[in-house]
Amino acid sequence: MRIYEELFIIKPDATEEEIDQIIEQMQGVITHAGGTIDKMDKWGKRRLAYRVDKHREGYYVLIQFTAGPETVHELERRLRVTDAVIKFLTVRIDESLKLLEKKKKRREKRAHRKATAAPAPAQPSVAAQMLGTPLGMPEEAR
Amino acid sequence: MAESRGRPGSAGQRPTGGDKAVLTGKKQYFRRKKVCRFCVEKIDDINYKDVKMLNAFIAERGKIVPRRISGVCGPCQRRLSDAIKKARNIALLPFAAVI
Repeated sequence: MRIYEELFIIKPDATEEEIDQIIEQMQGVITHAGGTIDKMDKWGKRRLAYRVDKHREGYYVLIQFTAGPETVHELERRLRVTDAVIKFLTVRIDESLKLLEKKKKRREKRAHRKATAAPAPAQPSVAAQMLGTPLGMPEEAR
Repeated sequence: MAESRGRPGSAGQRPTGGDKAVLTGKKQYFRRKKVCRFCVEKIDDINYKDVKMLNAFIAERGKIVPRRISGVCGPCQRRLSDAIKKARNIALLPFAAVI
């Protein structure tokens, strides 16, 4: 099972019901194949950076899901067949998420080390002073 | 944002972009050292959905700003260009913008 992100654009002249229907259909494809929907986000109508099928605007929908690679194949086929969908992009994100986690952990570790390293030199010096006084006194006495 | 390296007069430090140094006259200009924005601000994730951030690294014509101008470090530039190309694919950023 892998984590994917599917971002697709629906024609701007589609009604709310049509949009909901398409989203439901795509979610059905994923869940039917044994995948799970992690997140669903409707970005709403946005201006496109360039014209796509003579449209200047589009309704963006983002779905994050966990599924196998065959599911993605089927989902992409469905998106291609659906007329109202003008563009889509699938990105596999589990590896980048793992990398991010690793980086975050390393950063935290480093911060933790830094935080502990700062008072650490102070502590031995206090300890050394305490230890040093009994040792130092005989020296003075000599 | 960045520490200014190479004060005029300090011989040990090499100015970056030495061609800018004016030879005639007493005044000498030095470029400020460029630093990678992602490393300084500790941004781990360069995401293709973050159009606002990516826009800062896009030239007027929609081209990716080269590293020597933006100052982004090697690994970050690689991830950045990947993100920009993904964003272009889904019409978040233009392939070529008309001025």
